[in-house]
Amino acid sequence: MLARVADSLYWIGRYVERAEHMCRLSDVMLNATLDRSEAATQVARIALAAVGDPEMARAKSPYDAALALALDRGDRGSIYSSIAHARENARQVRDQITTETWERLNLIYLRMNDPDATRSFEGGSQLFLHDTIADLHLFKGAGDATMSHGEGWSFLLLGVYLERAQLIGSLLEVVFGEGRKRKPVTDHFALTSVLRMGCALEPYLRVYTAEMQPRYILQFLTLDEDFPRSIRFCTQQIETHLAAIVRHSGMAGSGPDRLAGRLRARLQYGDMDELEAQGASPFLKTVLDECSAIHRSLYDAFVAYPLEDRLPA
Amino acid sequence: MSAKRDDLPTGAKTSALPYDEMLAPDGRVRKHYHALEARLATLSPDELAERQKTQERFFLLQGITFTVYGAESSTERIIPTDILPRIIPAQEWSRIEAGLIQRLRALNMFLADIYSEQQILMDGVVPRELVLQAPSYRREMQNLYVPHKAYANVCGSDLIRQPNGEFAVLEDNLRVPSGVSYMLANREASKRVFPGTFRGAGVRSVDRYPDLLLATLKSMAADWRPNPQVAVLTPGVYNSAYYEHAYLARLMGVPLVEGRDLVVHENMVYMRTTTGLRRIDVIYRRVDDDFIDPLTFRRDSSLGAAGLFNAYRAGNVVICNAPGTGVADDKAVYAYVPEIIRYYLNEDAILPNIETYLCREPAQLSHVLANLDKLVVKAVGASGGYGMLVGPHSTKAQQEEFADALRADPANYIAQPTIQLSTAPCLIDHAIEPRHVDLRPFILSGEKITVTPGALTRVALKKGSLVVNSSQGGGSKDTWILADTKGAAR
Repeated sequence: MLARVADSLYWIGRYVERAEHMCRLSDVMLNATLDRSEAATQVARIALAAVGDPEMARAKSPYDAALALALDRGDRGSIYSSIAHARENARQVRDQITTETWERLNLIYLRMNDPDATRSFEGGSQLFLHDTIADLHLFKGAGDATMSHGEGWSFLLLGVYLERAQLIGSLLEVVFGEGRKRKPVTDHFALTSVLRMGCALEPYLRVYTAEMQPRYILQFLTLDEDFPRSIRFCTQQIETHLAAIVRHSGMAGSGPDRLAGRLRARLQYGDMDELEAQGASPFLKTVLDECSAIHRSLYDAFVAYPLEDRLPA
Repeated sequence: MSAKRDDLPTGAKTSALPYDEMLAPDGRVRKHYHALEARLATLSPDELAERQKTQERFFLLQGITFTVYGAESSTERIIPTDILPRIIPAQEWSRIEAGLIQRLRALNMFLADIYSEQQILMDGVVPRELVLQAPSYRREMQNLYVPHKAYANVCGSDLIRQPNGEFAVLEDNLRVPSGVSYMLANREASKRVFPGTFRGAGVRSVDRYPDLLLATLKSMAADWRPNPQVAVLTPGVYNSAYYEHAYLARLMGVPLVEGRDLVVHENMVYMRTTTGLRRIDVIYRRVDDDFIDPLTFRRDSSLGAAGLFNAYRAGNVVICNAPGTGVADDKAVYAYVPEIIRYYLNEDAILPNIETYLCREPAQLSHVLANLDKLVVKAVGASGGYGMLVGPHSTKAQQEEFADALRADPANYIAQPTIQLSTAPCLIDHAIEPRHVDLRPFILSGEKITVTPGALTRVALKKGSLVVNSSQGGGSKDTWILADTKGAAR
């Protein structure tokens, strides 16, 4: 597979995941604004902080922030920009993506790019976000059902899971990090909202029932083996897909796979007492740093490798 | 002659009524249009418009678009498509097919000749300076081995139907002709819009184009590589034909590469893959000659790969179409094609040319200058409907501007009578109206020459307009080539 193509597929995965996560943050934030409680304000603050954009935090109201986050074309971090970038990458590798998969992504883009997009957001912002998330799921589903699960697919999913691990990691840092001078989140509504931001409420309830404990939430989103948005699950996927790519290239032990294995082991054999003793922040920082290291190492091995090393003798 | 330009007795005198593809002069529907006509009669204008909208949506969703870049944002537009197919009966097509094969055989022989012995120039059949001074003539191609002498592997000729019903060749496109993806996409669409009529009519299939193209490309390296690696070279996502490049790569199952993916090392061409460098044997390039190799051609190009042409010279890669094929579709060389056919094949041209005045000849120049209001004048090097004067539709000022240009550089211009292109029924704003159309079939040549039984029909959507180029407000529609009713072709 062309290195440029692998690069584009990887970024499609990242951008699509980012768009979905931002939709969910906005949705939970807008939902919270319907309430006038102190907890609702706290939820809005968490969501804005998790977006990680200082501009957003200065927005006049959560609604304005959500609108800008959704459709601001000038902001590289907006949902619109993520979708546009994903689609631009998909266009560059249009020959590598099935028509079924392309159509799903193109459809989302065409709707967000429509001159009436702002009006339909205003007419029903939560519906707009809900539909976008649903269509992003359709995109992933169409890809899963129609694309060959070979090297290209692994690059795409590697993008998805690396991005997801980092996004969930950042969200947890906002909520549970010790470094922040913020009141600990204890309110029932606020805690369920945090789970909603990770699309984790229903799966959580099945494991821990409706008992909302910060400790359980941290444990679930970090160490759960089966929940697809826990960091542990993401690292398992990262390792699996990197192993597939490495196997394909015959370059075992080339760097990224070693890093991915180490990160997966850290999560697999991690335990809650240890994590609490160490503190959530240092732990999450390690996870985020190692994700970045995997990203760099991936580029060095497969995409931006020095030509001199690969010329035929 | 009247001093007023508005009345057009002169235009009417030079051109008869256009040939109508559907209606005979007595107003009756031609036989091969019966089924479509009957189907249309059962559809209300609103239903037709609804189908038109569905088709446009299909194109948009597929991303069959070109991008218009504005100051603030860029918008994507589809090239207008018309849902009513243009229909060509079997016996007409077999003549077109024979004519196209004959023409491309002769043009390939012509290219092989001028890039080696130049016999045709020595025999004085085509003026030497006309060929050797054409900007599209590439000295670098001299004495270079081209397998099967197939220089123009993909050719898209523009045919028009004259008022007497006869097809003629208006232009040969031997460089990087585009539009085949529209032929295939229009077919997808018209199968959805008129399934019953399509099935009943016995339309010949165009589905084989991608695999025939791949076979043609592979045949270009077959004598030295048993299973050659083919790639499509695109200028990138910002090129207006990018959709087509990606589409063909996808349907052939070969990589779509850009210049930045290529590395030339010791006269071998490689692409950068995730597992290192991989050799490429055949490049179907959709990049103009000028841009394929900054070392050989334009130095400021970043669309090609440095050293590509030397790898080609060394016989380690095949570039399709060969560089320098443009000299055979030069608008001035065009005038000599009937003689070129006679010279190499000893046959008369099956498909006639349009009468062409070469302004380089003083006598013809003065005729052109005296008749600027009736003729179509074209710059030799230009394409896409640019640099062109359509006499009957021009103002006095435009004519004078062209007259000055003609006198200054006569060799750069040719002129042709204003031909009334045939008309075909089109759906215009809820109503069916005739619009002028041309016909672009696609011919492949490698080990052998094949014509796909289909074509892109381009439409001048503006009423009365004769310019079908998409850059000038043209659209396209599906073209149904009917199988022989005796069942010979199916």
